[in-house]
Amino acid sequence: MSSADQSGPRSMADRVAGRLLEATVLERLGIALASVTTAILIGLVLVAAAGYNPILFLNNLIVGALGSERILARTLRLSTFFILTGVAVAIAFRAGVFNIGVQGQFVVGGLFCTVSILWTAPFLPTGTVGGIGLMLIGTVAAAVGGGLYGALPGVLKAYADANEIITTIMLNFIAIGVVSWLLTNPLRAEGSTNVQTERLPDYVGLPPIVFGDSSFSIIGLLLTLALVAVVAIAMTRTGIGYDMVTSGYQAGAAVYSGVDAKRTIVATMTFSGAVAGLASAVYVIMFQGRFIEPASIHTYGYDAIAVSLLAANNPLGVVPAGLLFGGLNSSSSYIQTYSDVPVQLIDGIVGIVIVFVAAPELFRMAAKRAGLGGEDR
Amino acid sequence: MSGLDSLEYARHPGVRLVGLVLAVLAALGVVGAVVFDVPLAEVLSDGLETLASVVTPGYVARSMEMAAPITLAAIGGLYAEKSGVFNIGLEGFMIFGAFFAAAATYFVGAGGAVHAWVGIGISVLLTMGLAVLFAVLLIRYKADQIVAGLGVWFIGLGLVPFTAAVIWGSRNSPRLPGVGRLTVPVLSEIPFLGRVVFDQSPLVWLTVLIVVGAWIFLYRTQYGYWIQAAGENPEALDTAGIDVNRVRYATVIFSGGLAGLGGAVLLAHSSSFVGTGQTMVDGRGWLGIVAYLFGNYNPLGAAAAALLFGGVDMLQGQFQTLNIEASSKLLGLLPYVVVIVVLTGWGKTQVPSSVGEPYESEE
Repeated sequence: MSSADQSGPRSMADRVAGRLLEATVLERLGIALASVTTAILIGLVLVAAAGYNPILFLNNLIVGALGSERILARTLRLSTFFILTGVAVAIAFRAGVFNIGVQGQFVVGGLFCTVSILWTAPFLPTGTVGGIGLMLIGTVAAAVGGGLYGALPGVLKAYADANEIITTIMLNFIAIGVVSWLLTNPLRAEGSTNVQTERLPDYVGLPPIVFGDSSFSIIGLLLTLALVAVVAIAMTRTGIGYDMVTSGYQAGAAVYSGVDAKRTIVATMTFSGAVAGLASAVYVIMFQGRFIEPASIHTYGYDAIAVSLLAANNPLGVVPAGLLFGGLNSSSSYIQTYSDVPVQLIDGIVGIVIVFVAAPELFRMAAKRAGLGGEDR
Repeated sequence: MSGLDSLEYARHPGVRLVGLVLAVLAALGVVGAVVFDVPLAEVLSDGLETLASVVTPGYVARSMEMAAPITLAAIGGLYAEKSGVFNIGLEGFMIFGAFFAAAATYFVGAGGAVHAWVGIGISVLLTMGLAVLFAVLLIRYKADQIVAGLGVWFIGLGLVPFTAAVIWGSRNSPRLPGVGRLTVPVLSEIPFLGRVVFDQSPLVWLTVLIVVGAWIFLYRTQYGYWIQAAGENPEALDTAGIDVNRVRYATVIFSGGLAGLGGAVLLAHSSSFVGTGQTMVDGRGWLGIVAYLFGNYNPLGAAAAALLFGGVDMLQGQFQTLNIEASSKLLGLLPYVVVIVVLTGWGKTQVPSSVGEPYESEE
């Protein structure tokens, strides 16, 4: 075993992965449900304590997620971003690497996507064919950008033993700052007062099919689900996926059986960052149609940590968890418009969910005390 | 006690610091040359004159002010980790600390420095209360330390602006009083030293006291040895009849309180609470973690690293007064770049061997 595998964060990662993977599916589901329910209940208490009507808040929470066709489209659109970023986090966590840098990889991927489309558009034909070509170029560029930005902390961890928790967080701040500077100066749309790039050509975009909403396309969601399936298969059925997961489970055993631990770390982080980049490609192509001030983009990459943990870092489990977060965030837009309750409460509820997910023992003890569940899990 | 080998490497933080300074200078040079088009040669040729115009007494004093909150969080985090608990929630505790101080000051009257001090006191008590909950979750319920710590950060980022909006109708507070400066008559007239030492925020001096006290306590008292043993060799400590988890509770609560104090100090040094974006704490809790990693878990080293971050942070203003064309947006990123450069240069820090593991006594 190399010394890298014995350092604190690494073995901590092993333990997290171990504890989260050990639990049975049913128990994980129970803990996820209990965490979310408890967090929402605490949120309702806070709403009441702040002098608002908690019943009305709960009602807004539900109406704001599912209330109309337009709202449903928004929920699904947000869910798409949470599922993709959640899968990015899950890939790393499963392999025992903490990728807290999905937000930064998302920002870099989105910039690559936008810039590659804007720069190549003049050389391609216009219309549907050109649009598809540009979208492919943009998607690949996003994956490359996100992947490279994810590879950086991977390389630093593998070859310089730099703690990836700290480096990825720092790289988030750096990505947002640098991209924001680029958008303010060299890449700013001509004559625009906002910090943003030029618009993508009209023929670049996914057509709205089921919902008549130009910022959501069912194609984006279907492609996302297809990607989730690919990742799930890659993680369980391919050699590199097997290496990654065994590294996460049992770093020692993986090295003993001939897995190159350093290369696996870099590959994992690259893969994870590339998926974060893909999330951003969907964000740019399907939703924004340009790239905007990165500091104003919702913290998908951070919420994705909660999404992944809620799903026990299982790529398939990320789908329902992502839908839940899409719903919560959709509600938060609704609440912002139709209620006085400050929407930051939703972020607080997300934080409380994370804390509860981190402490499954809490619910195990509670369940035992209430006489639920078996003697030993 | 075999568990105290950690003292071995705590002895040479000086070597690391010299390297840290060099890394900062290198990063500055590269960033300056590449991005801002600073005529480096010209700057260098001006030599000492330029240095003197950058490192003014006001700059040093402001850097110390900037460094104080980072230092406090770092000392707290260092104690927790020494005892075997990774408190990655420092950033969150700082956000709560800054907010509690603002809200307390606001409600007690917001009339003057006295109210600011009362606010700071209340803030420390309240963040310690939160840290008790956090400690119970980590130690009794064996929550994953990294995930729960991130949770604290998210809760701070969400609930604090929420509560601020409920109180003030905006995520930012109105103008609040600070603690002012402690000016010693006559002595403050001394050139350079006068402004830096005798015309300084009292909170900077409180921080210096805490740093020195933390060092003495950790390396020169019985309890300090217990803290170190709880992180290095909990079994031995348990065998010696000391309750490991009790020591850990104490350090986690202490770390929350100090991070809260750090947030309160940050507030006292600015004019109002800012709850937009990443809040006014804006990554300083993370820098606190990095500061103690560089300081190799030594309070003095951590404070020195924090001072360096504070100095880099304050360079922005200095560059502007010198008319050096530099984007403040990019310059503000310098501390983060430095962190990565240095973390890569050093690689692994000597993490206490039992960090992250819940300890269960065998009875």
